[in-house]
Amino acid sequence: MEKMSRVTTALGGSVLTGRTMHCHLDAPANAISVCRDAAQVVVAGRSIFKIYAIEEEQFVEKLNLRVGRKPSLNLSCADVVWHQMDENLLATAATNGVVVTWNLGRPSRNKQDQLFTEHKRTVNKVCFHPTEAHVLLSGSQDGFMKCFDLRRKDSVSTFSGQSESVRDVQFSIRDYFTFASTFENGNVQLWDIRRPDRCERMFTAHNGPVFCCDWHPEDRGWLATGGRDKMVKVWDMTTHRAKEMHCVQTIASVARVKWRPECRHHLATCSMMVDHNIYVWDVRRPFVPAAMFEEHRDVTTGIAWRHPHDPSFLLSGSKDSSLCQHLFRDASQPVERANPEGLCYGLFGDLAFAAKESLVAAESGRKPYTGDRRHPIFFKRKLDPAEPFAGLASSALSVFETEPGGGAMRWFVDTAERYALAGRPLAELCDHNAKVARELGRNQVAQTWTMLRTIYCSPGLLPTANLSHSMGKGGSCGLQLMNSFNLKDMAPGLGSETRLDRSKGDARSDTVLLDSSATLITNEDNEETEGSDVPADYLLGDVEGEDDELYLLDPEHTHPEEPECVLLQEAFPLRHEIVDTPPGPEHLQDKADSPHVSGSEADVASLAPVDSSFSLLSVSHALYDSRLPPDFFSVLVRDMLHFYAEQGDVQMAVSVLIVLGERVRKDIDEQTQEHWYTSYIDLLQRFRLWNVSNEVVKLSTSRAVSCLNQASTTLHVNCSHCKRPMSSRGWVCDRCHRCASMCAVCHHVVKGLFVWCQGCSHGGHLQHIMKWLEGSSHCPAGCGHLCEYS
Amino acid sequence: MVSVINTVDTSHEDMIHDAQMDYYGTRLATCSSDRSVKIFDVRNGGQILIADLRGHEGPVWQVAWAHPMYGNILASCSYDRKVIIWREENGTWEKSHEHAGHDSSVNSVCWAPHDYGLILACGSSDGAISLLTYTGEGQWEVKKINNAHTIGCNAVSWAPAVVPGSLVDQPSGQKPNYIKKFASGGCDNLIKLWKEEEDGQWKEEQKLEAHSDWVRDVAWAPSIGLPTSTIASCSQDGRVFIWTCDDASGNTWSPKLLHKFNDVVWHVSWSITANILAVSGGDNKVTLWKESVDGQWVCISDVNKGQGSMSASVTEGQQNEQ
Repeated sequence: MEKMSRVTTALGGSVLTGRTMHCHLDAPANAISVCRDAAQVVVAGRSIFKIYAIEEEQFVEKLNLRVGRKPSLNLSCADVVWHQMDENLLATAATNGVVVTWNLGRPSRNKQDQLFTEHKRTVNKVCFHPTEAHVLLSGSQDGFMKCFDLRRKDSVSTFSGQSESVRDVQFSIRDYFTFASTFENGNVQLWDIRRPDRCERMFTAHNGPVFCCDWHPEDRGWLATGGRDKMVKVWDMTTHRAKEMHCVQTIASVARVKWRPECRHHLATCSMMVDHNIYVWDVRRPFVPAAMFEEHRDVTTGIAWRHPHDPSFLLSGSKDSSLCQHLFRDASQPVERANPEGLCYGLFGDLAFAAKESLVAAESGRKPYTGDRRHPIFFKRKLDPAEPFAGLASSALSVFETEPGGGAMRWFVDTAERYALAGRPLAELCDHNAKVARELGRNQVAQTWTMLRTIYCSPGLLPTANLSHSMGKGGSCGLQLMNSFNLKDMAPGLGSETRLDRSKGDARSDTVLLDSSATLITNEDNEETEGSDVPADYLLGDVEGEDDELYLLDPEHTHPEEPECVLLQEAFPLRHEIVDTPPGPEHLQDKADSPHVSGSEADVASLAPVDSSFSLLSVSHALYDSRLPPDFFSVLVRDMLHFYAEQGDVQMAVSVLIVLGERVRKDIDEQTQEHWYTSYIDLLQRFRLWNVSNEVVKLSTSRAVSCLNQASTTLHVNCSHCKRPMSSRGWVCDRCHRCASMCAVCHHVVKGLFVWCQGCSHGGHLQHIMKWLEGSSHCPAGCGHLCEYS
Repeated sequence: MVSVINTVDTSHEDMIHDAQMDYYGTRLATCSSDRSVKIFDVRNGGQILIADLRGHEGPVWQVAWAHPMYGNILASCSYDRKVIIWREENGTWEKSHEHAGHDSSVNSVCWAPHDYGLILACGSSDGAISLLTYTGEGQWEVKKINNAHTIGCNAVSWAPAVVPGSLVDQPSGQKPNYIKKFASGGCDNLIKLWKEEEDGQWKEEQKLEAHSDWVRDVAWAPSIGLPTSTIASCSQDGRVFIWTCDDASGNTWSPKLLHKFNDVVWHVSWSITANILAVSGGDNKVTLWKESVDGQWVCISDVNKGQGSMSASVTEGQQNEQ
């Protein structure tokens, strides 16, 4: 993965240039270390020990330190370290327990300087003192740490960790005498180099082995530790007890950890298994790596920042036998890929929006919550204003409420609940629905209802209606009242629209809607004028103008009538079933009653209005057929329904469809209707308006829709003898091989309604039992029970 | 225009990447870089933490609610290459299934319309899209579309369930013959439409080309009373397109540029009746768009996260800028 970006940094005299590059090694690397001039890197492994020069374009092998014919175990390196003060001084830890120092200044080919064979098992780590030229520290699998003075042949002091094995040792940068060591058992110990008898401090840092540690390069007493528990923890060692400052969770055990120069909160990690990538974390953002290097094909074993003051060059060695230089700029940044925003339109048109907020905003925004311990550490700390905040984030989640123009759906619920769809005369339904719409501030819809009423039950055609056979006195009264109301009632709708139209600038979103509605109305008007010469269409236009004026001049005028109508309407129970019932004998009785009732109290709920509803329905039919061309309005209405549906107001489309019934149904193709119905029913169910949904299903004329109610009804039948479920389709029980539910009278299987006595559980065909009981009150089965049927 | 009704204190410890309301609009699921998925009850403007789901080992990018007819089911996808399906059982949320079939970060999950059964589409950075179908008794069948988008797939969105012809024509008792389709958007700047063939294999049906950078989100509009199919897409290039298809065969899609923003556009979300589109961009702003009568998309409102609610005058001003 070669990338061509090049970085040049000047660091107090020396200049670093380079690009992302890698070179092949002959063998897997175990560790790497950089010379203090940042121009050379040493790679050590079981069978490799080489120095490479880091040039601009490539790595160049400079020196092979594995000399001699037969390779010694002393050369099998577990770790290597280059002295940060002396360019010629190197130390390696061998897998056989030997600590070797190398002097590159030696003239001979063999640069080996000293050999310390004091450890009994593999030495895991070696470390030079950061400021003292001759002090070397080692940590071994045998559980001991040894301090060597390179001027002497033997170790100066031995420290016993009282534990199985030492995984890492690191001199403190802050404290001349202090070093930290980490152990297989999860402990971290702090030692004073002058006191080998016991450690200064010990604490359990990880669950399982602590593989590595690194002191913060800036003098802050921070120690980062990484363990098999996949965590990197940052400890403040300056306090009396080591305090955990940060905890980063990675996806694999942490083998190496190195603070990134010049970036106070960054550290690089690599893993010893599973994961081959190198990650750079911002410890304040412990969940997402700030950067990721994906070059290696096997486990990364050694990482080192090229220069102690340069944050952009990282070197790494890997088990895949390669040495890499990574440029921070070329790293993939998972954070950048991440989506910083979440957005969701809720059911009620509310908008949930989660967005990244900068830490500064978070600080001020979260003030009320300070002290809440659920908040992450970095919110509580005072932030260093000099530090860049880029990449650090939390999110604020808000739920916004939108107005009807913005998709709020409150109107939908209200409308669905309050609309009347059947069981009353068409005019009343229209009026009622118009009123509902108006009260909810939906003037366009209200207007449409009013227009529908005008179209389908025009008052000018009433004389024809009077010819109708069963027009009751009360009914006709009611109708006329409605009509007179209706004309004026239409005006406010139009009036308000006009007014809104005039106040265009005020509400932009509304204007959009209104513009469209205005166009619609105009279109309709035009069509009417062009398409036919029936004078009825002028009625609309005229009324609009005149009543608008009327309304504006005398707004109270309409009000006195309104409550009256309301009473009249709401006094009727919603009993749409009656529409379906063919006029039975009761009808005559009602008719006889009606004059009486309407004569005394018009608004008392009685059967008379129901009667009138019949008559009105039939009247409208008559009207439709006799006076108006059937395809005249229907085109208009069809277009109107399509318009509403396309606007997303499928509710209106379906409601009108139901209310108008046969008048429009045939003009709209079955499939569209079905789609509207199912859409509307889906919506209703989402809003948990089960009753309304059920009503719509019931009233729907589409076969596919009306059978929805029966879809999920299952009858479970058990055998009356053995009580087992009747699984097969027949009437014979599989288990006891007897016919279930025999009629006690005719001794045949009952396949329909089965009526039985709850006392003796004998029964049979409804008709047969009824007949039987006319003659006898004893059980037809002969059990002697005096059967009772209620 | 728009006002904050609820600021949810999620106490997520890092960036939130997705927030989704459930079918009934009563619960809000959020997911974050902090590896957790949280569920809040947001009825009546409240915010009660119902569940804090831990199981992912990396940032969780997206969550998706299944239709309630299958119970309370939530799917989440993460950087850790896994998709987890969570299920509520007797009031407690638990991991019900874990899908680890991707080689890279899984960026998007989306449940198919409920009519098809429980089917989950997952789009991943490894370029593949996998489809998990529940086959009963805790078993999930996996189908994978390899190399759906080179470099990676960022978003998936199902088409609403539409039956060719009327329901009445379907033989009773049989499952209606749905044509399953979904859209995906990816790092190849493309939007692709996928269709299930009769043999159950998924086939690329359309390739929609208009964006000049990664496609970040696609949203197929719910079909409420609309005769056309509509898809909204947004991209890294700041553009939001509305794609419409009028013909019955579903082969001709025409794009219409909704707006070119100055920053990355991360999300598009349709309102329930599909007449308003919410768009969220890199500048932490949400704008609402509506199609006017002449077919132009107009911004009707915007929501600025910082202030929460905006005064009308500010809204006006910003609209003029655009």
